[in-house]
Amino acid sequence: MAKSASPRPGVAFVHPSEAEFARILDFYQIAWEYEPRTFELRWDGQGNVVEAFTPDFYLPEQDLYIELTTMEQRLITKKHRKLRRLRELYPNVNIKLLNRSDFKQMILKYGLDDDTSLIGQPQEQSA
Amino acid sequence: MNSTSPTSWPGDIGPVFLTEEQIQQAVDRLGAQISQDYAGKDLVMVGILKGVLFFMADLLRAITIPVTVDFLAIARYGPSEQTRGVVHLTKDLTEPLDGRHVLFVEDIIDTGLTTHFIMRTLRLRQPASLEACVLLNRNRRRIIDVDLAYVGFEIPDIYVVGYGLDFKEQYRNLRYIVKFEPDETAR
Repeated sequence: MAKSASPRPGVAFVHPSEAEFARILDFYQIAWEYEPRTFELRWDGQGNVVEAFTPDFYLPEQDLYIELTTMEQRLITKKHRKLRRLRELYPNVNIKLLNRSDFKQMILKYGLDDDTSLIGQPQEQSA
Repeated sequence: MNSTSPTSWPGDIGPVFLTEEQIQQAVDRLGAQISQDYAGKDLVMVGILKGVLFFMADLLRAITIPVTVDFLAIARYGPSEQTRGVVHLTKDLTEPLDGRHVLFVEDIIDTGLTTHFIMRTLRLRQPASLEACVLLNRNRRRIIDVDLAYVGFEIPDIYVVGYGLDFKEQYRNLRYIVKFEPDETAR
């Protein structure tokens, strides 16, 4: 389906909403990178990483990470906890969470609300 | 009730969020402040079509100093392949901006993506100053930060229509601003 094809060759998006968000950024000529960095959040006694977080997008001109999720609000507790941990460990990192409601408003604004693939199926928890 | 009362419209629109009186009070406040700040300056107010029409018309009439107005329009991101690609002006200004004091006026700022593009475009025309004025600031989903010199209302995370704001080109002609809740069953 052409609509869900990656807007950038070589970048495989996990969810159609991410591909659509990348298209919106491209439209407004906002430079972006997809999952360029993984932040280590917790380690075991041997120093092995046991928890990490990889934000979906990085906007280099804004020095801003963006995590986009279409999960239902009740399912994103774990993600919120990871974000809190990330902010504690990396206070100089700017990160914003765009949740299901935020993305729904965006697709309403752009008239994409008929495309149920973008938000109709709540996204599995990841990152 | 007048002809644009909520009862005349489909069930998608919710209760009135901002009344005509509330909007007019904000417009008067902004107009007075702008008149004071730009007194003696060559002010050009630039609006982006189409949503800003009503706000611009009312704001201009609330301003008590000489002012020039101009409009531009940009391609809007949309669902079809024709509406994707890259943002660009579909209608340019007719007024030169170099050396003049430019105030960009917008109905609502949400992600900041459109405003960022417009401010960047206007800045390239070398105005003496460039500021932004917005009726509604919904910063919950702000992606690109934008400095706003004049704000009518800070609004929460809701979708609104009316007073120029649309949903699929409808509801612009409501005299007030209402919460919009799409009727899922109608899709």
